Amino acid sequence: MKALLICEYREGTLLDSSYELVAFADKLGAERAMVLIGSEAALPRVNGKLYLADVARYGEYNPELHKQIVLEAVKRENPDTIVFVHSSYGWDLAPRVAAALKAGQISEITGINEGKFEVGLCNAKLRRTVVSRTEKTVLTIQAGAFNFTGDAQGSPQVEKLELKDALPALEFAGYEPALKTEVDLSRAEVIVSVGRGVGKKENIPIIAALAKALGGQLGASRPVVDAGWLEHSRQVGITGQTVAPKLYVACGISGAIQHLSGMRNSEFVVAINKDKDAPIGEVADVMVVADVMQFVPALIAMLS
Amino acid sequence: MKILVCIKQVPDMASRFKVNGNGVWYDEVDLAFRMNEYDEFAVEQAVQVKEQSGSEPDITVLSIGPDRVIEPIKKALAMGCDRGVHLRDEASYKKDPWQIAFTIAGFCRDKKFDLIFTGMQSQDRGSAQVGVILAELLGIACVTTVVGFAIDNRAITAKRELEGGIKSVVKFSLPALITCQLGLNTPRYPTLPNIMKAKKKELLVFPVADFLQEKEMTGTGSAYTPARKGSGIILEGDVNEMAGRLLGILKDKTAVIK
Amino acid sequence: MEVTREIYWNIGRGVALPMYGIFALAAFVFLYGFYRRFAVYRQGKALNRFDSLGTRISFLLKNVFAQMRVLRQPGPGFSHAFFFWSFGILFIGTLLVMAQVDFTQPVLGLAFLKGTFYKMFSLALDVAGFISLLALGVLLVRRFILKPEGLETVGDDYVIHALLFAILVTGFIAEGVRMAATELRTDPALALFSPVGMLIGKLFITMTSENLSSVHKMLWWAHFLMAMSFIAIIPFTKLRHIFITSANYLFVDLAPKGSLATINLEDEGITQFGAAKIADLTWKDIFDADACTSCKRCQDRCPAYATGKPLSPMKIVKQIGDTAFLNPGADLPEAIGADALWACTTCRACQETCPAAVEHVNKIIEMRRNLTLMEGLFPGDEARTAANNIEVNGNPFGFAFAERGKWAVGLDVKIMQQDSDVDVLYFVGCYASFDKRNRDIARSFVKICNAANIRVGILGKEEKCCGEPVRKMGNEYLYQTMAVANIEVIKGYGVKKIVTTCPHCFNTLGRDYRDLGLELTVEHTSTFVAGLISANRLRLKPEPFEFTYHDSCYLGRYRDIISEPRAVLKAAGGQIMEMEQSGYGSFCCGAGGGRILAEEKTGTRINMARVKMAAATHAPLLVSNCPFCLTMIEDGIKTSDLEGKLKALDLTEIVAARIGG
Repeated sequence: MKALLICEYREGTLLDSSYELVAFADKLGAERAMVLIGSEAALPRVNGKLYLADVARYGEYNPELHKQIVLEAVKRENPDTIVFVHSSYGWDLAPRVAAALKAGQISEITGINEGKFEVGLCNAKLRRTVVSRTEKTVLTIQAGAFNFTGDAQGSPQVEKLELKDALPALEFAGYEPALKTEVDLSRAEVIVSVGRGVGKKENIPIIAALAKALGGQLGASRPVVDAGWLEHSRQVGITGQTVAPKLYVACGISGAIQHLSGMRNSEFVVAINKDKDAPIGEVADVMVVADVMQFVPALIAMLS
Repeated sequence: MKILVCIKQVPDMASRFKVNGNGVWYDEVDLAFRMNEYDEFAVEQAVQVKEQSGSEPDITVLSIGPDRVIEPIKKALAMGCDRGVHLRDEASYKKDPWQIAFTIAGFCRDKKFDLIFTGMQSQDRGSAQVGVILAELLGIACVTTVVGFAIDNRAITAKRELEGGIKSVVKFSLPALITCQLGLNTPRYPTLPNIMKAKKKELLVFPVADFLQEKEMTGTGSAYTPARKGSGIILEGDVNEMAGRLLGILKDKTAVIK
Repeated sequence: MEVTREIYWNIGRGVALPMYGIFALAAFVFLYGFYRRFAVYRQGKALNRFDSLGTRISFLLKNVFAQMRVLRQPGPGFSHAFFFWSFGILFIGTLLVMAQVDFTQPVLGLAFLKGTFYKMFSLALDVAGFISLLALGVLLVRRFILKPEGLETVGDDYVIHALLFAILVTGFIAEGVRMAATELRTDPALALFSPVGMLIGKLFITMTSENLSSVHKMLWWAHFLMAMSFIAIIPFTKLRHIFITSANYLFVDLAPKGSLATINLEDEGITQFGAAKIADLTWKDIFDADACTSCKRCQDRCPAYATGKPLSPMKIVKQIGDTAFLNPGADLPEAIGADALWACTTCRACQETCPAAVEHVNKIIEMRRNLTLMEGLFPGDEARTAANNIEVNGNPFGFAFAERGKWAVGLDVKIMQQDSDVDVLYFVGCYASFDKRNRDIARSFVKICNAANIRVGILGKEEKCCGEPVRKMGNEYLYQTMAVANIEVIKGYGVKKIVTTCPHCFNTLGRDYRDLGLELTVEHTSTFVAGLISANRLRLKPEPFEFTYHDSCYLGRYRDIISEPRAVLKAAGGQIMEMEQSGYGSFCCGAGGGRILAEEKTGTRINMARVKMAAATHAPLLVSNCPFCLTMIEDGIKTSDLEGKLKALDLTEIVAARIGG
C-alpha cells in the first residue's frame, strides 16, 4: 500500500508533526511519498519522494490552492491513502481533498487495531474501528499518537510541483501571536494541571502550591483558561502547549480529548477526580478518586 | 442575506457510555441529549450577524436525526433563528460524514445560502468533516476553527485558532461556510418571550431520503469500550491514606520524589 | 357641685366656627394628600388583599394597638409603643372633649366630663402627655445624638420631632396657664389630678389675670394650629405611616410564607415576565414603600448587607417608592442595580422582623424574573452553567442523570421504577444524590427509616432537581419544566407521602408544587423523625454531646420548624448552646435564593460570618438540617481555619448514630 503524507509548514518552519506521519506510514508498512507546501530550506530529513510546492507562491494557508497541489501529487503518485495530521491545518484541508477525490475520510486515528483504524467516540470514552469503502482513503492521525523514533538523517528526493492557474479564493492576512509569557511548559519535568474540578478561581493557589511542592509548573485545561482563571500560556492541550514531563498530575480535569492529546506523552500520569470514570483515567497511571480540594491539601501536608 | 446553521444533537459527555446492540455505536438508553457544544457558537454567531445587519438576514437552522432533534432546533429558534428544518432520519448515526454533508447539500441546492455556520466538529463522532465537505459540494469558500468573526457587507475577516494559542487572520467574501471553534462568542441564554415565539416559528420536516442518495464511504467496523491501560491503579477512600499511598507509588515509579 | 372644667375657658364658644372651619381645611388637605398617593399606588397591577377580612382585621388590631411587631426590638420599640399609646390617649381625650362640648351637651344635655370620671380623665391625659414627652425625648436622643448606623435622618424627621414636641409642650403650658388662672386658685385639690399642669401652673401663679388670659389664648391657638398642621401634613411626610402602615397590616399576604406567583406559561398574552417597571409590580409593592418607616430593622438583619453586598432591603423598598412617585417610567433594575438584586438569599429575615409588614422578598424575585426571563441574565457565568446543567441532566453539577440513584446501591431502599410499594417516597435532592459529603445524610435517613420499619423508596434517575434554586433566581420557565416532570413521575406512582432531607425541596414540593397540581403530604426529616420518636417507632440511645444549632431559613422562618429539631437533638442526648441569632432571628448560611449556584464576589463571606457566630458559643459541634447549610458551614469552617475546633453534622447523622435502645 502506498501512502501520500501531507507535511505541515508554518512561519518558516517544517512542523515536527510531519515526522509523525512518517511513523504512521512505517507502522502501516506502507510505501510513502510526501507533499510539502514549504521551502527547500526546511525539508523533512527522511528519505523518499517529496513533492514540493513553493510556499512563497501558494501561501501558508490557502486551502483551495493547497488542495489542488495535493490533488496534483495524488495524480502523479496514485497513492491508496492520503495522510494528514489532525491539526488545524489537516482537519481543514483533508476533507477538501476527500470530497474532490470522492474518497472516504477517517479522522483522528489513534491507533491501528487488528489492521483496522481506531478512532475515539464520545470523547474517547468509547473506541471504534472505521473501515473505508472507497478505493482511495483520506486519513488524519491524532497529534502525538504515532511517535517518530527514527534518526531524521535522510534527505528526500524533491520533485517540484506547480499549478497552472493559481487564483487564491481567500486572502491570508498573517498571524496573531499568542500572548507573551514567562511560562514554558514544554520543558517542565513536573506539571500539575488544574481543571474545572477545582471549583473556583480562589482554589487555584492550592494547586499551585502542589506544583511548587513537587518542584513543577502549573498547567491548566481549556475550560479554566476560557473562564479567565489562568492565562493561556498555561493551557495544556491541542490549542495550548504539548508537554512531555516526567510527572503529570491532572487535578479535576475530566480528560477531554483535546487535553489528552497535549499531555499523552507524559511519562507518569496521576489523575485526581471525583468521577472514577472520567476519560483522564484512560491515560492515568494512578487515578485518585477524590475531591481535588480535599485531596490536594492532604498531599501537600504529606510532602512537607 | 440568507444564513444556514447546521446543528447536531449529541449526548451529554458526562454520561456513561455503553456500546449499543448493533455493536457499532453507543447505546442511547439513559443518555441526556443536548445541542453539540460547537454548534451553540455557530447559532450564536448567526444570530449576531442578523442583529448587526438590522435584522434583515434570514436564518434557517437545520438538523438531521430522529424526532428528538427537534429540541435543539427549538433552542436555536429561541436563540434567534427564523425557521427550523428537520431532516428526519431514525438512524442518522449510521450515516457517515460524506452522506450527512451530501444530504445537507441536497437541501441547499436551490436555496442559495450566502453564509453557512456549522460547529467545527461533533462531540460524539468528532470527524470534523461535514462542514468542509458541504462547502466543497456547494462550491463555496470555507474556513475552519474560527474564533473571531467580523463581517462588513459581503467581506469577512475571520481568525482561526491554531496550535499553541496562535491565531491566523483570513479574509474572504460570501458565499462562505464557517466552522466554529469553542470560544468564538458567548452563546446567549434564550429569553422566555423568545422561547415562546420559537413555538410559532416555521418548522419544516422532510424525510432524509428526499435528499440522501449516496452510499457511505466509510463504515464502522466495531465499537467497544477501551481496555484500561495496564498500570491503571485506582485509589479510593480516605484522603490521607490515599496521599500516603500515592507518594509511595511516586517514589517507586518516578524519580520525582526523593 | 361636681368637679369639672369649663371647656373653651377664655377662648369662648364662638371659636367653634373658625375652629371647625380650619379643621375642615386641614382635613381636606389630609384627604387630598392621600388621594394623590392612591393614584400612584394604582400604577401597580391589581392584587386581591381584601379576602378573609376577619383575619386581616385581627392582625391589624394586634399590630396597631398592641404594637406587637414594633415591640420586638425593645429599645426604640418601647419608646415608640409608649409614645403611640400616650398620644392615642391624648387624642381620645380631645375627642371626648369635642364630643361633649359640640354634641352631647348641646343636643342631649349630657355632660360626662365631671366628677370622678373627670378626675381620672384629667390624670390620664396628664400622665399620657408626660409619657409622650419622655418617649419623644428618648427617640429624639436616639436619632439625633446617638445616631445609630444606617438610620437615615431626613427633613421630615426634623419637622415631625419639632412639631410633636411643640404640640405637647404648648398643650402643657396652656394647661398650666389655665390652671394658674382657675384651679390653682379655686380648687387646688383638683389640681392634683393634673400633676404636670399643676407644676407648670405654679410658674405662672404670679401673673395677672389679663396676662394669663392673653398668654393662654396665644398658646391655645398655637397648639390648635400646630395640631391642624400636623393633620394636614400627614400624607406629605413620614407621618403618613400612621395610616398607611396601619392599613398595611390589613393587606398582609395570607398565603403560606414564601408563596410565589406561578406564572401561567401557557398564556400567550403575557409579554412581560417579571418586573422591569413600576407598572409590572402590584399596587401593594408601591404601597409597601409608603408603609415603610425607614426603621432599618430589615437592613440590620440582612446577611448580604452585613457582609458588604450592595443590597439593603429597606433601600430597595424605598427605591421602588421613589420611582413610583417621581419617575414611574424608569427601568427598575437599572435604578436598583442588578448586583443588589442578585445578592439576596431570600432568607426572609427582613420580612420576619419588619414592623410595617412590608414584603421585601417577592419584589426582588419579581425583578430577578425580569432579568432572567426577559434578558437572559445571570449573577455569573457559573450560575448559567448550573442552569444549563439542570436543563440537560436535572442537576446543577452536570453529572449524568442516570447516576442519580447510585448512592443507594446496596442499601435497603427501593427504586420506585422497580418496586413502588412504599410507605414513604424519599425525595433526595441534588446535593444528597451527588455530593459526597451530603450522601452521608441520605444514607443516614435510610438507616433511620430501616430502624423505624418504614418502607422507603426513591425515584433514582427519574428524579430531577426540584427547581427551587433556579426559581428563586427568577427562572420560572426552567423551574416549571423540572416541576412538571417531577410531578408527572410522582403522581404516576400514586405516592401519598414524601419526606425530604432538604428544606428547599420541602418548601417547593409541599407548597409551590400545589400550584402545578401536586397535593400530598410533604414532610422534612426533622419533624418526620420527631413523629417517629413520639410514636415510639424509633428509639434512640442518647449519647451526650454539646452543640449549637443553626436554624435553616427555609425551616425556621419559612415553616416555623424551630422547636421540633431541638427536641429531637435533646432526645439524642444533645445539650444546646444557642447562638445569639437563632430561631426566627437565625442568620442565613448564604446559600438560599439560588445563591448556592453562584459565587460570592463582593464583600466578605456570609458563611464565614455565620461560622464565627457558632464558634463564639464554644460548642464543639454545629448541627444543621439542610444540605446547603451543611455545605456552606463546612466550607466556612475550612476558610475560617476552624478545622479541628468546630465540626459540622446534620441532624439525620446524629440521629442515625444513636439508633437503639
